[in-house]
Amino acid sequence: MTAFLIRRIGFAFVTLFAVLTLVFVIVRIVPGDPAQVILGDQASREAIEALHERLGLNKPIVTQYAEFLGNALRGDWGVSMVSGRPVMAEVLNVLPWTIELTVVSLVIGVALGVPLGVWAAVRRNRFFDYAARIASLLGLSFPAFVSAIILLFLFAIEVHWFPVISARSGSLSAWTQSITLPAINLGLISAAYITRVTRSAMLEVLSEDYVRTARAKGVPAGSVVWRHSLRNALIPIITVVGLYLSILIGNSVLTEIVFSRPGLGKLIVGALNQRDYTMLQGMMVIYTLAVVVVNLLVDIAYGFVDPRVKLG
Amino acid sequence: MKKIFAAALAALAMLAAGEAQAQKKTLVIGMGSADAGKLDPHIASTTPDKGLLQYMFNGLVRIRPGQISPDTIEPDLAESWTSNPNGTEWTFKIRQGVQCHSGYGEFTAEDAAYSLKRAANKATSSYSNDFSSVDKAEAVDKYTLKVTLKNPVAGFLGYVANINGGNMVCKKAAEEMGDGFSKKPIGTGPFMFAEYQPQQFVRLVANKQYFRGAPALDEIIYRYIPSDSSRDLAFQSGELDMIYGKQDQSWVDRTKQLPGVKVIAMEPGEMSTLFLNITVKPLDDLRVREAIAYAVDRKSIVAFKGAGTSREAVSVVPSGYLGTDEHAPLFPYDPAKAKALLAEAGYPNGITVKSIHTTLTGMQTFLQAIQAQLKKSNINLDIEEVEHATYHAQIRKDLSPLVHYQAARFPIADVYLTQFYDSASIVGTPTAVTNFSHCNVADAEIRAARVETDPAKQKELWKTAQEKIIKAVCGIPVYEQLQLWAWKDNLDLGYDLKGSLNLAPPITEKTHFTK
Repeated sequence: MTAFLIRRIGFAFVTLFAVLTLVFVIVRIVPGDPAQVILGDQASREAIEALHERLGLNKPIVTQYAEFLGNALRGDWGVSMVSGRPVMAEVLNVLPWTIELTVVSLVIGVALGVPLGVWAAVRRNRFFDYAARIASLLGLSFPAFVSAIILLFLFAIEVHWFPVISARSGSLSAWTQSITLPAINLGLISAAYITRVTRSAMLEVLSEDYVRTARAKGVPAGSVVWRHSLRNALIPIITVVGLYLSILIGNSVLTEIVFSRPGLGKLIVGALNQRDYTMLQGMMVIYTLAVVVVNLLVDIAYGFVDPRVKLG
Repeated sequence: MKKIFAAALAALAMLAAGEAQAQKKTLVIGMGSADAGKLDPHIASTTPDKGLLQYMFNGLVRIRPGQISPDTIEPDLAESWTSNPNGTEWTFKIRQGVQCHSGYGEFTAEDAAYSLKRAANKATSSYSNDFSSVDKAEAVDKYTLKVTLKNPVAGFLGYVANINGGNMVCKKAAEEMGDGFSKKPIGTGPFMFAEYQPQQFVRLVANKQYFRGAPALDEIIYRYIPSDSSRDLAFQSGELDMIYGKQDQSWVDRTKQLPGVKVIAMEPGEMSTLFLNITVKPLDDLRVREAIAYAVDRKSIVAFKGAGTSREAVSVVPSGYLGTDEHAPLFPYDPAKAKALLAEAGYPNGITVKSIHTTLTGMQTFLQAIQAQLKKSNINLDIEEVEHATYHAQIRKDLSPLVHYQAARFPIADVYLTQFYDSASIVGTPTAVTNFSHCNVADAEIRAARVETDPAKQKELWKTAQEKIIKAVCGIPVYEQLQLWAWKDNLDLGYDLKGSLNLAPPITEKTHFTK
């Protein structure tokens, strides 16, 4: 287990290092001088050179690279070019919002998606199966911002159950009020996704010999489905949930904007629009980190659900 | 289970209602941007930041709240002022006893002098160009400020009014905080900075010591809500008292139907102009430029944009500015004439003109409408669409032969003429501002008017300048887009709102809720 973890974390570091290097290179080959972008087109020559000095852009490229790596590892990602606030602080400010939204909506997705998928597989080609498949197809193809507006219109305007500005905090009731609609919005989409994967994974397992054997020797139907089959179908489901978690972090941007919640997605869109290079660097590192960590967690989870994966 | 759920929801709903009851002295404003920028009045240049900062700062003088005309200039931090006959020496008497926010002490002539120098400094200000004629700003005594100019400046008081570089900061706070000033801006205005929540809001609290009297409101929450529909919904649900509108006619029509809501299209109008680069083929031929001018139909553009929110341009300077020629000889719509001129210039089969343009919705639909109009006169407008920041960068690199630009400036003809038509401002040069057309036909008049002290003569010079620019077709002014806002009618602003140079309605000490 330990050796497995060390190897995985080693891989994670290599990935991070590669991404950092890529980020460093991209930002420097993209046309346009960051100093010019920051100061605007009316800036004088001296002002631009002074800023080069401050940003360290006049140093040799190798020195810049070493400093960039060193700073990144120490968690110093510089200062946002637009707002003047530290990138790290800006990210940490909104990170909890994104994490809580992602986690709650994933919980909703799993809680709805897994039972629905299992049930649909068991009732294969019967009414419930068709209904579940159509519903999940609808969920997958529905744009998140449209469903968000519909949810707001129904539950915040027609009946005043929830606020439109879903960014309250401070008390449990305020938090619940704010998280419910955005989490349902994202949760339904991930439920649709998980339903489909669970269904197909279950169908495969249900046709295995050992399932027939279990049935033949008189194991109760419920136990066959939930213990014998689902347990074996979990691997693809976990893989998808893991993949989806990283997608969710990125996809939450539309939900964040419509529900007026702070979040990473909004931060990166803003940074892109305003050419905030330091912020973009920081964001790319954060996203890589998120994907790497999620993959690591998925790998570890495999070991727990499937004894065939040896963590040694 | 269902009962518990329903009960919980009812309880939540009551909590929400209770909150709404307690908000009577809190004004919640919804702004259409994702987050705050640098909250420093000498740096901020965007609508959202300028709109917010005006609640915290004063100028030496101010434009009367709700007005935009320099004719309404009245005392602000300066009680009175005098100048020498040719307008190069200004003496301001600073109001006594004005307190800076958060205990930073009394605002004196020392602070005023510091503020002007800070606004004139390239390192600390985006508006340093506005103060290039300022030679000295010094405190003669505690309450007397003397400003010496290198040369007379047209409408100098406008530069020390409560907008952009004219906003007065407190010296001690600015020096102590340095770069941190934008995180806790300190001024003398009716509201003080209290709290910033990233991507959510800035909260301001009443400045009880405000020199015009303690504000009627307790606090202002300035919320950042980039999605137009979310802002509308939150306004409808009562979570917002005032919102920045989606800038189109359909929004006005829809919002007007809500009960208890006031909608306004306010000044200043941002004028859309098509700038033609007079140095590149085929636009270097005057006949070609005239043809384009004849091919533009201002009337149908206004019909397209909505008569309640836009109006036809009257000259190369927006209407209502000091010095605008309200009846300037613009080219009428005449596609036949346009075709004839093109043929005369040697293009009987028409021409193709390239334009690099932004994908910003309001601007995009406008240029597409222009494209359709020009087509009727055999002028093919080839629009290359790029993202907004790229558009701004590329047009300043002189890459777009036809530039569509939308702008409002300080309402004195000199500012618009200097930035867009003085040859010193040609893009790509060291002194560049936004002269995209390489126009140089009215330099003499623009520069003479800038230092002319006789208002009648100055006006005459500006009029001639506008005529010359129109005749040379450096720019084709098309229409003006007004600023759209809405608020609940239980909010009494305390003044009559016609416009705001800071682009958001001022909130003064008198602004209050009536119920």
